[in-house]
Amino acid sequence: MSTVVHPSDVRVDAVRKIVGAEEYAGDVSLEGMVHACIVRSSERHARIEAVDTSAALTIDGVLRVVTAGDLDCALYGRIVRDIPVLAVDKVRYLGEPVAAVVATTRRLAELGAAAVVVEYGPLPAVVTADAALEPDAPLVHEAPWEYARAVVSPDDPPNLQSRAARGTRQEAEAALAGAAHVVDETYVTPAGHQGYLEPQCCVARWNAEAGSLELWIPNKTPYRLVEQLAACLGRPAASIELHPVAIGGDFGGKGSPMAGPLCAELSRLVGRPVRLALRYAEDLAATNPRHPTSIRVRMGCDTGGRLVGLVVDAQVDGGAYAGYKPMPEVSLRGIGHAASSYRVDAAYVESRIAYTNTVPKGHARAPGSPQITFAVESALDELALRSGLSPWEIRRRNVLRTGETGHEGVRYAEHRAAEVLERAERSIRPATAPAGTRHGLGIALYDRPTGLGYTSLRLTARADGDLDVGVAVPDTGTGSHTVVREVLAGALALDPACLHVRHLPTGALPGDQGVGGSRVTATLSSAALLAAERWQARGGEDSIVVELRGEAEEPITSYCAQVAQVAVDPTTGELTLLDLLTVVDVGTVVHPASHQSQVDGGATMGIGFALYEDLELDDGQVWASNLGEFKLPSVRDLPSLQTEVLEGGKGVGPANVKSIGELVNPPVAAAIANAVFAATGVRLRRVPLRAEDLWEALYPATAAAPGRPAVPAAAAAGPAPGGSSEQP
Amino acid sequence: MHFRLNGQTADVDAEPTEPLLDVVRRAGCTGPKEGCWIGVCGACTVIVDGLPVSACLYLAGMAEDADVWTVEGLTADDPALVDAFADAAALQCGFCTPGQVTTAWWVAHRPDVDGGPGGARSPGGAGGPGGDPDVAALMAGNLCRCTGYQAIRAAVETYRAGH
Repeated sequence: MSTVVHPSDVRVDAVRKIVGAEEYAGDVSLEGMVHACIVRSSERHARIEAVDTSAALTIDGVLRVVTAGDLDCALYGRIVRDIPVLAVDKVRYLGEPVAAVVATTRRLAELGAAAVVVEYGPLPAVVTADAALEPDAPLVHEAPWEYARAVVSPDDPPNLQSRAARGTRQEAEAALAGAAHVVDETYVTPAGHQGYLEPQCCVARWNAEAGSLELWIPNKTPYRLVEQLAACLGRPAASIELHPVAIGGDFGGKGSPMAGPLCAELSRLVGRPVRLALRYAEDLAATNPRHPTSIRVRMGCDTGGRLVGLVVDAQVDGGAYAGYKPMPEVSLRGIGHAASSYRVDAAYVESRIAYTNTVPKGHARAPGSPQITFAVESALDELALRSGLSPWEIRRRNVLRTGETGHEGVRYAEHRAAEVLERAERSIRPATAPAGTRHGLGIALYDRPTGLGYTSLRLTARADGDLDVGVAVPDTGTGSHTVVREVLAGALALDPACLHVRHLPTGALPGDQGVGGSRVTATLSSAALLAAERWQARGGEDSIVVELRGEAEEPITSYCAQVAQVAVDPTTGELTLLDLLTVVDVGTVVHPASHQSQVDGGATMGIGFALYEDLELDDGQVWASNLGEFKLPSVRDLPSLQTEVLEGGKGVGPANVKSIGELVNPPVAAAIANAVFAATGVRLRRVPLRAEDLWEALYPATAAAPGRPAVPAAAAAGPAPGGSSEQP
Repeated sequence: MHFRLNGQTADVDAEPTEPLLDVVRRAGCTGPKEGCWIGVCGACTVIVDGLPVSACLYLAGMAEDADVWTVEGLTADDPALVDAFADAAALQCGFCTPGQVTTAWWVAHRPDVDGGPGGARSPGGAGGPGGDPDVAALMAGNLCRCTGYQAIRAAVETYRAGH
């Protein structure tokens, strides 16, 4: 290990991660531990007629084959409890766990799983939200309103998971009817995996004598997971302990119980510690990816380009279960924030999430926001074109100013949209498009509120004079534990090297809300400052515990503007992202390196969403079944990434911080799509933005085109920008 | 099987057809991680006889008598490698980091021979004819979902400049 003394701002976890010593769930190895593998449904929707385990049980080393009848647990879910640990009577999606095989090695467990024979009686399936919400659609669940904490009733359309609406449709429609210019278009986004590189994994140890259960699981909401496991397994929460392990990437995907409940049950049934680790192919096909959406946007303005009406109807594929969504109303809140950066006289936003016979969907970085921002920010450019305004001008005329209340009805402390746009326009460094390609530049804007949450923290004096800092919330990689150290060091005037931050097991602290909503820096820095205050005022104690249950004094939101520059090859439709400028509105940046990483990582994930990532969920099957086909951006795929940090904003809490984790990825796709339009006159309304779609739009079937037989020489010029070549 | 692991002789029970990744992890080197399991993500990267390989695809039998290095061994006596990543904050969740660090070591130490494996001027090689090997091209086999690569790139440049 390095003996060099690091400067104080080096992340608390840096060295152990660099030398390979960090412990992830898959690195945990317990005495007597055995391995499990899941038998997954090969059908989208079918009755389970029979499960033949005899062949699997003949394999030497296979200890047990478990099916739903062996389990002693309830349905689980983060809000709606509709997910069976193993399928009961029928399967609802391709890849659903039907049985599990426990063996002495992982290889034998996998061989055993392959030997289990399941007979299915196929049922009619619904594989899209549109089809699922038809009146006579086959039912994914016969009576979804009967599940614990369901948000639907028998009066709702069949297969409804949830419905969220804001505003008055009639008023918004009336406003649109009176608008001088109206856009009415539908934008489509695919299912997408979060792309964390660590597959879902769990190690569970059930101690029958003590009646206790221990888990090592990469979950970002450990205290909530304990509650969910307690409810599912019918055990007291106090008997369940989660040990801290590093989380190998989250982005929303590590908030659900996932492998936990099954692994716990398997450990109970075989009486030994069990590791259940998914292969990446299983993770892509059958965990909790981002919701595919089809979003119809109708947006109208007056002759001066002032937004008068907005109607959004989002149709969302929720998959076979609703239980991976954690919001009380079971919605994707990002969709509800449609056009939240702008003044609109009358807005109505409705989303309907449907049960379908596809993989159940969950949260992915800024849930709903990449989808709605692609739709609304593209539509706004389309409206600008119709109004004769530039994309910059229509935004300038409509962004909220400090003191104004937007159509969501929230009065934020400040709006820095105009400043962010101005900084973006001033910071553009023109990129050079290669000869023979067309250059285009596009802008998109996004805003995201920052809140506070609940957490707890412990300070303990050490014999050597240093301080141990015990935290309840895991660091998913964002640098949150480093933030705690930086804030405490500042408040206590200590050398950061004297502060030792450790993530403690559940039970060691009163509780924590978990990672989510880009609120961790705000919550943890507030908790750290509170702890510093109490520490200085303490009597003789050498250990204190503080709890922070925070509400921001006033609502805070922050803005992000992005400018994309692209080059499009008019003969092939090939699209190259040349440059992506990100302007972020911040309060105080606590740890600049971690902040910048969140900006760069967010921009990169936005590029993946815009250009590459598609699970190819078709006819109920995930076809992008490995990381070769579900392509994440590599270092070679990136353009130059420029960042401008607009300091001096009003943030949350005494540390004055704003959100960053989910601020940067949502606007990327619209910025690129708008740049493509500027370059070619082609409007792409489906992500990922693909050369094939661009080429088809550039050269409609009737036209001659490069690559088609008998190309007339004139075709090489392509259509004029702003022409009629819009994507159908 | 018999091989050298991080400079030490290693005799381990292994099937010739099992992935080298499982073998080195069983031997206690759990730095290399199982990510994609198909040789795309690079989280399992180890050095075999001087070259980076995806240990999830590399069969144990192919490493018989080979000189195998994992992130644990590469960083043990190389504070500059650790510092380059730590100072640049070139990591977040850390799951890809052992693979990134391993490839970074190779970028700095690899033989720069015309036409040799990974050589700058090899066919389809990183830098083109006579070009300076481009870190982005050399590191493209190591995916990172967290950082957006800018800090990793800076760390690799810093480390390479020191060699």
